[in-house]
Amino acid sequence: MSAPAQTTPAQTLALPIWALHSLSRLTPFVLFLAAWQGLAKSGLIDPTFLPSVSAVGHALIDLGASPSFYTDLAVTLGRSLGGLALGAAIGIPLGAGMAVSRKIDGFFGPLVKATYSLPKTALIPLLLLWLGIGSATNIVAVMFSTLLPFVVYTYHGIHGVPQLLTWSARAMGTPQRRLLWKILLPASLHAILTGLRLALGFSFVIAIAAEMIAANTGIGKLMFIYGESGAYDYMFAAVAAVVALAYVADRLTVVISNRLLRWDDVENRLG
Amino acid sequence: MSAPSSAAAIKIRVEGVAKRFDQSGQPVEALANVELAVREGEFVSIVGPSGCGKSTLLYMLGGFLAPSAGRLLVDGAPITGPGVDRGVVFQEYALFPWLTVFDNIAYGLREAGMGAREVTATAERYIALIGLSGFERRFPRELSGGMKQRVALARTFAYEPSILLLDEPFGALDAQTREIMQDELLRLWRTTGKTVLMVTHDVSEAVYLSNRVCVMSQRPGCMVEEFAIDLDHSVEREQVVLSPAYTAIRNAVWIAVRQQVVVARRGAA
Repeated sequence: MSAPAQTTPAQTLALPIWALHSLSRLTPFVLFLAAWQGLAKSGLIDPTFLPSVSAVGHALIDLGASPSFYTDLAVTLGRSLGGLALGAAIGIPLGAGMAVSRKIDGFFGPLVKATYSLPKTALIPLLLLWLGIGSATNIVAVMFSTLLPFVVYTYHGIHGVPQLLTWSARAMGTPQRRLLWKILLPASLHAILTGLRLALGFSFVIAIAAEMIAANTGIGKLMFIYGESGAYDYMFAAVAAVVALAYVADRLTVVISNRLLRWDDVENRLG
Repeated sequence: MSAPSSAAAIKIRVEGVAKRFDQSGQPVEALANVELAVREGEFVSIVGPSGCGKSTLLYMLGGFLAPSAGRLLVDGAPITGPGVDRGVVFQEYALFPWLTVFDNIAYGLREAGMGAREVTATAERYIALIGLSGFERRFPRELSGGMKQRVALARTFAYEPSILLLDEPFGALDAQTREIMQDELLRLWRTTGKTVLMVTHDVSEAVYLSNRVCVMSQRPGCMVEEFAIDLDHSVEREQVVLSPAYTAIRNAVWIAVRQQVVVARRGAA
């Protein structure tokens, strides 16, 4: 583009390449926040409905100083992960069972297909009726929402295992009943972990939605209260905290998954 | 010299075996009336036009597929399923990608209930034998095709099946690696005295390695011709390959296979 420069920007700034890379990744976020701040300050929108970035920042600092905020975050995190664990504990065996047994597939297959497009939030009022206000409703709602990704990804993962792998295990003395544990599940690990990552995202969505309707604690309830009372800067701050929490949880999942999949082809790594 | 005497017991017997597949409602006849007998310690190759059903026959001997008609016997007993008496090496290696080289080779030993110390000793011995010392902790994706093939052979040899079933074992290798691996196999076979049945489309490979080469017809496949081979493998490879005996038999087998391919082409046209 331009004439060759004496020094590259990197040299001028004396920053290592990796630091420049992470900085360049932040650019879209910085631009987004700047646009938000500009819009909020422009007077085009009533600041009651769109608090400025700085106002939300102040609210976030204020929230960060209160111990009950961390309790709410922990409660929400606990409900998400608890429901996720339950979803995995039921969904992975169910998906595996459906993949290896025609009988199990014949029974649960139609159920899975029928509930596939059902918005799981529609179950929250029912669960509220049965389980009342509190963690039980939340956790069961999360469990239902994460069940399907586990079932579907485990099922397809096992169906995609090359026949030669099971044949060669059988030839080396692995009995039929141990194929699932020795071959089919490890060979489907990539698919199952992809399902886990998807389910993790769902778990936050449903935990917070359920808290808004059916809980007295948790970050979802907090958002709801701030929204009701018109403290929108605080509501936005709570949303920002959830976004950050979900992001960290997702990155952690990716890092752990890729560690578990270090034997797999690089192009199969989670991004 | 290395050929087992004709008095050796029959290890594998295939009697009137047929195999039909159902391909989207259309019955396809893969094999028809296949007859074969392999003696203990013999190295037999099956060659034939592609799609003649030779791999199907091997999979039936592995116990993965059942015949539509006829019988398959090992040591006089019908094959009812896979068994550790028959080691199978597949075309695409079929290594377990989540296991290291060491754990892949140890797999069959552990399944056989061998103690940890013995597993380590045996696996290490085979890793050294195939020249992969130092690669124990690598995963299959980090290996070249030739290395993967050596691991596949080693993991099958390690648990000592009395029969080796090889399905185009060197098909995916480059010419140089293939020759090295062939000599490796020959050495392993001669030191262990196993019964080997190999399926290949490579006539030179079949003639170089085997005591006997069986030619299969086009689909539905059956045995049409058989060649007994007695090459002196005590000399170097180049001497074997350049000998008039090798050339003569290689040409004869090549023509027999070629006839089947031509018949198949005419049938298709």
